Amino acid sequence: MKAHDASDEDEIRRTLTSNRDLGFTMLVRRYQPGIYSGARRLTHRHEDAEEVAQDTFLRAYRALSGYDDKRIRDLRLSGWLWTIALNLCRNRASRPIRELPGITEATVSTSDPLPIDFDSWNRRLAGLSTDQRTAVVLRHVVDLPIADICVATGRPEGTVKTDISRGLERLRDAVQREELL
Amino acid sequence: MNSVEKQLSELIEEPPSRLERSTVVGAGAGDLVSSVDSRFGSLWVAWSRVGITGLTPAFASPTLESFIDHHRRVSYEASSLPNSLEHEIVSALASGTSEGLRFDLSGLSGFQQSVLEACATIPVGAVRPYGWIAKELDMPRATRAVGTALARNPIPLLIPCHRVVKSDGSIGNYAFGPEMKRQLLVSEGAIAL
Repeated sequence: MKAHDASDEDEIRRTLTSNRDLGFTMLVRRYQPGIYSGARRLTHRHEDAEEVAQDTFLRAYRALSGYDDKRIRDLRLSGWLWTIALNLCRNRASRPIRELPGITEATVSTSDPLPIDFDSWNRRLAGLSTDQRTAVVLRHVVDLPIADICVATGRPEGTVKTDISRGLERLRDAVQREELL
Repeated sequence: MNSVEKQLSELIEEPPSRLERSTVVGAGAGDLVSSVDSRFGSLWVAWSRVGITGLTPAFASPTLESFIDHHRRVSYEASSLPNSLEHEIVSALASGTSEGLRFDLSGLSGFQQSVLEACATIPVGAVRPYGWIAKELDMPRATRAVGTALARNPIPLLIPCHRVVKSDGSIGNYAFGPEMKRQLLVSEGAIAL
């Protein structure tokens, strides 16, 4: 479901050059759910994630009008979109927090046999540095390839991998500590 | 206990159901479509955030799917038109004047836009020959191209291509048939019964 599919990307890029509005719609359909999911973990409120998920594509659409075909053909779509989305997430993170992170609206499906504990994961992720949280969420929640994470964060591969492994270590520690309580 | 990686991969949340639609339409990349009742029966109308992009009477396009196919812009079905837009359209159809209505012709060529903009100035009760539009555009020999552009009018009835006739006085062509064109012109008082 989340597998990075190169042929999807090619088709979207081709359509963007021949029919911008149709290509854009395909872009939204393919990438907006992932941007929304990632933004949910990187911002505090679901309204923020919705705004990020919408504004990312608004900015992308405007940017595309200035790109020639060659530039579009060379675009790494997820990396490019996440560059925009991370900027938007950062803007929101700097706003004053009026609610505690981790208070979610009823997004948990109560019909799941093992309900997903979004609150606990928000809390654990909040214990990571911004860079670690971003890298871990992009890699393991959004399933972005490392190369796209590098494009989106502007950080080199070695650093991104370190952020991910250190972030995961901290999360494992947090889970273990909770189990001991 | 699942690994941390596995649990993280399950933190997927579906976006709100209308998010795609509001993103695409909000960016200006797509339209909303719905229907409105009028004295011509039910009309399909498409609109972008800029203005009306398309109109087709249901008698010419029985299903929403056929309208969207013909419309050729990314389209999302809305439950209804915004109240103000519906009111403006119904008024315009009653009065024969589309002043104040906003159209979005950005998907058309510059020439087509100019033809339709000139056509939109023809007042109710009047007719003009195709050549008149060509002259308005400073392209007196483009009469045939004007005809083709009018034949592709995406917003008939509101952009009154039915008020454009042949210079010999005959009614000329119309997307919904010459008889409807004639009836429209009679009801507008532009020609006698």
